[in-house]
Amino acid sequence: MVYKKGEKLISVYWFTILVIVAVGIVLMVNSYYGNSYDVREVEAEILSEKVANCIYFGGKVHPLLLTPQGVFREDFRDNFMERCSLNFDVQSEFTPIPYYVGVQFLTFEDSRTFFKFSVGNNNYKSDCEIKLGGSEKLAKCVEKEFYMKTSSEKIYLVKILSIVGKTNENTN
Amino acid sequence: MEKKRGEILVEDIIFMVLNIAFLAILVFFLINQGSGTSLIEDSYSKQVALLIDSAKPGMIMKVNFEKAREVSDESGRAFSDILLVKDNYVTVKLSEDSGKSYHFFNDINVSYYPDLNPGFEGFYTLTFSRKNGI
Repeated sequence: MVYKKGEKLISVYWFTILVIVAVGIVLMVNSYYGNSYDVREVEAEILSEKVANCIYFGGKVHPLLLTPQGVFREDFRDNFMERCSLNFDVQSEFTPIPYYVGVQFLTFEDSRTFFKFSVGNNNYKSDCEIKLGGSEKLAKCVEKEFYMKTSSEKIYLVKILSIVGKTNENTN
Repeated sequence: MEKKRGEILVEDIIFMVLNIAFLAILVFFLINQGSGTSLIEDSYSKQVALLIDSAKPGMIMKVNFEKAREVSDESGRAFSDILLVKDNYVTVKLSEDSGKSYHFFNDINVSYYPDLNPGFEGFYTLTFSRKNGI
């Protein structure tokens, strides 16, 4: 084999290519590992599941949700957080509450809202209406609905909307 | 210059060494990125927070912290100090100058301790009870 003129130049090109490949790999790896794990959707799912289980579990309505006459109790709404073992308190008073839960009870016959309440940060509700690509900076929303049969044989459609903010912790 | 059969030039050796060095640095970088302290703290704090959110009173969970233990051992932090659950926040701290916290919404009492049972070294045990103690 004979070394020709310019062969050293080829090795310089070779290393230039290696450097370009390396820079590409570094950028790709950084963009992958640099992102936090986004668990907000799972969290919102767990939140709505917890609220659903609190309201109606195993075919039984929460004992403090209805009066014996089958009327919704206002004090359930007022003490919802305590009744369902929820705590949205955050460390700093300047940090917004990162959750929202809205519950609606609709009549089975005419889908009329019969009773409703919500807790948490109302500001996130508007994020659920925006459906854009690359909306990871918006809060994550999960809607769940199920039918609830009371002891007085009345049937309600229960709609739960759970939202998790926490944008800073889950995105870059 | 003419190369004879089987002859290896110094330039060839340098070329190969540089290539191997380049690949080694790249592999080292990739391994380091995948096992970064910050990434591990982030994933563990979120995992534990989600486990707490889905827990019910009376449950006992064993959580595998082996990867976190490897990092904390390297940084000289005691395994029993890497997890903190307080005021509805899970904090995982694998070295003195790092740490990640994540909020959970489940209002439940959480007791946690490193598991000392044989075969469960590197695990944490989480036990859950009602806040009012019932």
